[in-house]
Amino acid sequence: MLTMAEAVREAMSIAFDERPEVFLLGEDVGIYGGAFGVSGDMYHRYGAERVLDTPIAELGIVGAAVGAALSGMRPIVEIQFSDFTAQAMDQIANQAAKIHFMLGGALHVPMVLRTPQGSGTGAAAQHSQNLEPWFASVPGLKVVVPSNPADAKGLLLAAIDDPNPVIFLEHKLLYKIPGRDPVPEGATRIPLGVSKVVREGKDLTIVATGIMVNKSWEVAEKLAAEGISITLIDPRTISPLDMGPVFESVEKTGRLMVVQEGPAQAGFINEVIAQLAGSSSFGSLIAPIKRLAGMNIPIPYAPQLEKAAVPQFDDIEAAAREIVKNWR
Amino acid sequence: MSFKYPVVMPKMSMTMETGELIIFHVAVGDHVKNGDVLFEVMTDKIDMEVEAPADGVIEALVANPGDVVEIGKPVLIMLTETEVMAFDFGSDGEPVAAVEVVAAPVAPPVAAPVVPAAPVILNETVKAVPKARVEAANRGIDLRTVRATGPDRTITMEDVNGAQLDPAIAKRQAANKALIAKGIEMTRSIAQASFTRSVNANFDHATLIAAWAKVLRNRPDLAAHQHVGVALIIESKYGSALPVFRDPDQLTIADLVALVASTTQAAKNGKVPVAMLSGATTTVFDLTTYSMSSATPLLFPNQVTSVTIGYESATTKIVSLTIDLNFCDFYDGALLLDALVASL
Repeated sequence: MLTMAEAVREAMSIAFDERPEVFLLGEDVGIYGGAFGVSGDMYHRYGAERVLDTPIAELGIVGAAVGAALSGMRPIVEIQFSDFTAQAMDQIANQAAKIHFMLGGALHVPMVLRTPQGSGTGAAAQHSQNLEPWFASVPGLKVVVPSNPADAKGLLLAAIDDPNPVIFLEHKLLYKIPGRDPVPEGATRIPLGVSKVVREGKDLTIVATGIMVNKSWEVAEKLAAEGISITLIDPRTISPLDMGPVFESVEKTGRLMVVQEGPAQAGFINEVIAQLAGSSSFGSLIAPIKRLAGMNIPIPYAPQLEKAAVPQFDDIEAAAREIVKNWR
Repeated sequence: MSFKYPVVMPKMSMTMETGELIIFHVAVGDHVKNGDVLFEVMTDKIDMEVEAPADGVIEALVANPGDVVEIGKPVLIMLTETEVMAFDFGSDGEPVAAVEVVAAPVAPPVAAPVVPAAPVILNETVKAVPKARVEAANRGIDLRTVRATGPDRTITMEDVNGAQLDPAIAKRQAANKALIAKGIEMTRSIAQASFTRSVNANFDHATLIAAWAKVLRNRPDLAAHQHVGVALIIESKYGSALPVFRDPDQLTIADLVALVASTTQAAKNGKVPVAMLSGATTTVFDLTTYSMSSATPLLFPNQVTSVTIGYESATTKIVSLTIDLNFCDFYDGALLLDALVASL
């Protein structure tokens, strides 16, 4: 069983083999094998021409990738921590996202920006954020948040195929974890913009992103033994967002809970709530919508506080139990 | 010369059979003027004040506060200087005139403090989950009558599923059924005829009411009153209300438009001004909100005409006139409808 780091490496290797214009650049992605070991031995397999170690200069790294993409290459950028994308935001939001549209579709920017995010590693506030709403609020960017190795591989291959920029947000804690499902052999793509119904139940719909899909799955397993059955939906691509399965499921269960690690305020998951509230499926609700998300605070350094700042298994379990019990 | 006039329990809605006397505002011997409030009545739909139909003196109070009185039965007796003839479109059609009433006068209300029956308290701001609202609307359940057991006193699906049909609505449905059955039976013996014309014009209720009143104004033989009173049927969740617009053709159209709008709104809230509950000489029924083209309405007792507006197409409406053949003939009907359509 591959871990997510291995699955991402496998997807990049397949893309390297398929297309000579694909290359990887970033800090320590070469000889060191990546800060989280994702690129691993790729430097040795593909050489310094295709696996480029760059200076510590995120604006320059992304700018170089945008230029390369405009001139026919397919760069994969790795930013060591997603927090550092703040340095490169002009290239991401104002250049990569806009060029195709501002030039009337004459040019494409086929680049992928991969970056680890999330808390749980004791790395403190500047290395632990979940910044997906930054990217999801910029039209022109597609945003992928994989929750397991198999999806990560298929989605990354589709992202590299995409003719315009894709932000690929990998949770650090998932890198070393094998998935529940084996990673398929070969170069099978998973299309962007298709939500996945991870499991089906009749009492509650949970929409979760990234690592919260795994935690919600464990809760669903536990509660299933008590007769509470849960539908779990992983949007996988948060922009564009596929709400169809959410509407369908809420019409069956009547109850919706959304779970994300990032802060509640202006978080991505609020978009799921907003779209449901504005749809005809709203009339199927038999309970108020429950939102579980991170606190509106910088992630603390102290391990107990870091844990308390984002939803954990116990929080999800208690909330799921309560919504099903209180609203009948 | 003076007349003995019994003020009776009024019929305030189509389904009303009894009313509860709440309180008297007068005592024996009081001099009252036309329009003074005599007593208050409560029904399952509305509470209302009953006014003196003419100047006079209270001779006797024949019911007690708290009594449930059948419609048409006397509540108090007045002595009047003028003969009062009461026509009420909703009553059984028999004019109530001076009759000898044998009833022991009761003690003035001050002797016994009045304790009105506690009205059903309805929670005006209902909290309910969205699906409960959908379900309640489908089943005709008034959510204000449902007990909320959910968190923060919110009505859950369980609450709605366990709720019975609102007794008031159930009663009205049963009453409506009886009314319809009675209507069908009556139709067979009533001499009435209907006329229909397609009208290529858009007009609001106020315009129609004014136009129809103007037409009737020229036919005093068709009204039992000195005035023209146009009743407009307005559907509300409390049942049909029939506010009467008196001499609407004598108002400016702007005033009438405003009056019709405010009265319609009030009727939908179950609050028709008392003064507008009687004196109808004709009735108007707009079927377009139901996308229906025409109906053959039963004429209300003491009325010889009624007009319905039906839907035909986006630009055309169907105007139907029903007449009582005891009072006018087919030729009259054709002329009346022609005059109405011409003025629209």
